[in-house]
Amino acid sequence: MSELTPKERVVRLFKREPIDTMPCFSGMGMVAIQAINEMGIRFAEVHTSAENLARSAMLTAEMFGFDAVVIPYDMCTVPEALGRGVSLYDGAEDILYPTVPTKWSDPDDVEIPEDFLNRGRMPMVDEAFEILKSKIGDNLAIGGWVLGPFTMAGQVYELDLLLKGVRKDRERIEAFLSKMTDLVIKVARHYQAIGVDYMNIREMGSGSDLLSPKVWKTVIQPNLVRIFETLEIPTINHICGSTDLIIEMMNECGADALSVDQKNNVAESRKKLGSDVLLLGNFDPYGTLVTGDVGDVEPVIKKCIDDGVDAVWPGCDLWPEMKGENIEAYVQTVRKYGTQASPAVGRL
Amino acid sequence: MEDARKEEILKNLAEAVVEFEEDTAREWAQIALDEGMDAFEAIMDGLAAGMETVGDLYDRQEYFVPELLMSADALYAGLDILKPHIKQDAVKKMGQVVIGTVQGDVHDIGKNIIKLMFEVGGFDVHDLGRDVPLEKFVEEQLKTDAEIVAMSAMMTTTMVGMKKVIEMIKAKNPKVAIMLGGAPVTQDVAELWGADGYAESAGNAVQEAIKMISQLRKLQEQE
Repeated sequence: MSELTPKERVVRLFKREPIDTMPCFSGMGMVAIQAINEMGIRFAEVHTSAENLARSAMLTAEMFGFDAVVIPYDMCTVPEALGRGVSLYDGAEDILYPTVPTKWSDPDDVEIPEDFLNRGRMPMVDEAFEILKSKIGDNLAIGGWVLGPFTMAGQVYELDLLLKGVRKDRERIEAFLSKMTDLVIKVARHYQAIGVDYMNIREMGSGSDLLSPKVWKTVIQPNLVRIFETLEIPTINHICGSTDLIIEMMNECGADALSVDQKNNVAESRKKLGSDVLLLGNFDPYGTLVTGDVGDVEPVIKKCIDDGVDAVWPGCDLWPEMKGENIEAYVQTVRKYGTQASPAVGRL
Repeated sequence: MEDARKEEILKNLAEAVVEFEEDTAREWAQIALDEGMDAFEAIMDGLAAGMETVGDLYDRQEYFVPELLMSADALYAGLDILKPHIKQDAVKKMGQVVIGTVQGDVHDIGKNIIKLMFEVGGFDVHDLGRDVPLEKFVEEQLKTDAEIVAMSAMMTTTMVGMKKVIEMIKAKNPKVAIMLGGAPVTQDVAELWGADGYAESAGNAVQEAIKMISQLRKLQEQE
């Protein structure tokens, strides 16, 4: 068996080319408190410094043997660049992710500054990507992500108005979502140009807990199709929450892979999709790595593989305060059972 | 008022909520008052009954969050007309609720639905809003002596804050009922942290709130 570098492993997986073993990675934040502590900083300090952002990602991957690094960790960099500000919770004792403090109350007021890529923390994130490229870019894969247009819309415009607008004010909301789609494309293409190895579009707020499959098809799907059409690097269509009813429509969007969380019945989804589609998922990162016992990790991870994923992905960001032994068990289980071919990807 | 007419009014109020007809809800609320129906009965057996149906429809995946929110708007439309006419002596004061979304979480849709159900149930609701610092829940409970503290978090990442609030409140006043809500909240989490009720979805929250309100009502009747 020839040995691949983590980066080769990840890139080949997305091309559905045979690999040596299943990579252990994600398309969402994967930073561990163990790395933050070793750096001697607080979680709140990680979001504003390119050095801290890059280093915490690298150190986490190094400590636990992940095949990729993914930045940034919070979902406010783009809203902040559009002028919405950011709450960083500098003083909080606990781990709190940054949030968007205020939102627009009329979609017509939403303006995208020409130079938003140079505003807020966007240049800092770019710099962090450059650090990652120069330090580990030959060895580990570098993942980027952007919120999908609907989720991004909910970050800058009041979510209840957005949701009701889908029913009551369709035309205006569709125009707004189209504008958000242009924004997402700009950000995703920007990270593509910087050199990320794959791009995860996280349309998290569009699962069937929130929107009907019918609305998903007419309002969400066309925008995702447009995004995936414009990207050349490997892409992932990630949606969390209930996705059983929309998994086939997710597959019609044109991404290279689909990612779902623990609410999806992956064994059923695999049947619906057939064995050619790259499917990633689907364990509960909080329940498995933070609150669960170490002995419970292996069965959870193994079940993902048995159900038919091509790589075990957490359903969401890894919550930083994980138990070290649980992370180790997660990585070891992926290595142990990942030597066998998965439905869409063979082995060398 | 004849039973048949009463049934008709209640049915129309409920249907207005289910069909998200704000104007119709207002219209039938006014008819209920004009024809001498008890306002509290019109709210509970008309509007709230409609919302309960909406919760069912949501759980059966016939309705989704946009529909839930539009139904809530229709309920509010009727409630605004009926609420000033509730006979205070006819309805035992239900009590007070402190409600909010925990710090780090700016999602407040679920919280607002629960708030509405408590208002419908005749509670005094102290809404702390969203992204609320943890100690604020404790302060507000002490200040108001509220019987219920309801907290919501939509993200796993903020849910852990709720555990601290429960500990702080229970240490000061073990009798306070704590209700948790939000997508990441499970029965295990609620039990582990010593909460008295939980709801993981907005639809489920409507049922849970109604259940909690009726339990409290029974307790009060026993006293």
